[in-house]
Amino acid sequence: MDVVLRAEGLRKRYRGVLAVDGIDLEVQAGARVALLGPNGAGKTTTLMMLLGVITPDEGWVEILGHRLPRGRTAALAEVGFAAGYLPLAERMRVREFLRMYGQLYGIAEPGPLIDSALERFGIGRLATAMGTELSSGQRTLVGIVKATLHRPRLLVLDEPTASLDPDVAQRVRVGLRALCDEDNISLLVTSHNMLEVERLCERVVFMSAGCIVADGTPDAVAARFGRDDLEAVFLHLADEGRTAAGAQETDRA
Amino acid sequence: MSRHTVNLPWLRIRAVARRHAYVLQRSPHRLFDVTIWPLVDVLLFGSIGVFVSHQTTGGKVAAGYLLTGILLWHVVYQSQISLSTGFLEETWSRNLLNLMVTPLREVEYVAGVALFGLIKLAMGVGVVALTAFGFYAFNITDLGWSLIPIASILLIVGWVIALFVMGLVLRFGSGAEALAWGILFVVMPLSGVFYPVRSLPWLLRPVAQALPTTHAFSAGRAVIDGRTLPWSELGIAAGTTVVAAVIGLAFVTRMLATFRTRGYITRYS
Repeated sequence: MDVVLRAEGLRKRYRGVLAVDGIDLEVQAGARVALLGPNGAGKTTTLMMLLGVITPDEGWVEILGHRLPRGRTAALAEVGFAAGYLPLAERMRVREFLRMYGQLYGIAEPGPLIDSALERFGIGRLATAMGTELSSGQRTLVGIVKATLHRPRLLVLDEPTASLDPDVAQRVRVGLRALCDEDNISLLVTSHNMLEVERLCERVVFMSAGCIVADGTPDAVAARFGRDDLEAVFLHLADEGRTAAGAQETDRA
Repeated sequence: MSRHTVNLPWLRIRAVARRHAYVLQRSPHRLFDVTIWPLVDVLLFGSIGVFVSHQTTGGKVAAGYLLTGILLWHVVYQSQISLSTGFLEETWSRNLLNLMVTPLREVEYVAGVALFGLIKLAMGVGVVALTAFGFYAFNITDLGWSLIPIASILLIVGWVIALFVMGLVLRFGSGAEALAWGILFVVMPLSGVFYPVRSLPWLLRPVAQALPTTHAFSAGRAVIDGRTLPWSELGIAAGTTVVAAVIGLAFVTRMLATFRTRGYITRYS
């Protein structure tokens, strides 16, 4: 199977604190992978390094054979990114915003694609709304439309459903699954919603204290930690992280 | 390359320029930079010129210096402020991360903002020229074609100053954004916009001589005096502009590398 994303030995330190400690990651074409872990585990730093926004201290990233940072433009043409916490650019209507991003991805006339993408997620009526008029859930949906407009080979989503109600989150999951299946798009997603991850992804990568501590199917990862589900694994790792941090504080004292 | 797509840098440059056109269209207060300030500047310096012309024998020349100076200054001001605030707009609306994960190259982004900046420049300088003509019967076209090389150098200097501002914002965050406006208040008196640099305190004259703007404005005054365009002065202006551009590009490239290395994107996401 083709490898869409390959990263090896990623390491990042901020002012003496090791945020990411030697991450190796491969994402195959069409795979749906969740990157999980408690707050401070290093997920977002890892995602930013994978996207070339943050330069790793050590290690390298390759997207569809394009090595970052040299091949950044060619690599990112194949990637879509959306984050639940990012607002829309101000003073633009939804259609204008999507048109701009469509063109940044090289689509000369993105109009028809915008219409079909908005309909896919059930938000066609928002096309003429101003970005500032949208609820946080609607903004997230528009962000996902932006990320998928150019039919990327790799879709990276950081907390995509954090601000969505269960009904809309379900629509997003269905839309994403259909999109990924139709075009064989690989998905790399972070989320704190373990139930969502179990429904959406066939592989989970658990991070803790900057390292990958588990990698496999949701069931296999839960079994490895002797827990019933991912939620229990998450709580176990978060608890372990707090204990380790407490021990470090005691050592320093 | 993904399905449905073509690789067209020009498409991306136009997309960035159009985005900034929307910002101007939907933020009336941004029109202040291209309408109100040019108008106020012409009224201020034009009226000083009229007053001086009534007091002294050489006053008419002084009025011409002031009005030409403010017109040429707005070339620097508009090109600098449109590029700087265009970039700041991305930080204010937390759009930087969205842009950084697209195939958009840094040079394409700057070209897109600068391209729209040319429209703002035309608006700002147009207001200056029309106001000067309407209120003070000062016709800028009387200065002839000589204005074009002078204005071209000043346009590039404005962009170069904006590169320094962008670099500082990348490095120091929103704390540096006041420089977008403030930096010009340092450059203006040192550039001899309205007077020869020999009028400056002697200590500051070497600094002034090192600035490309000083030589461009000096060439502008020569033209007002009815002399032929001093190509040597213009050559120094062009040479120092090239040096400043190289330093500016190196600076912003270094600051962008620092921005990526230290993970400063978290300030805007």
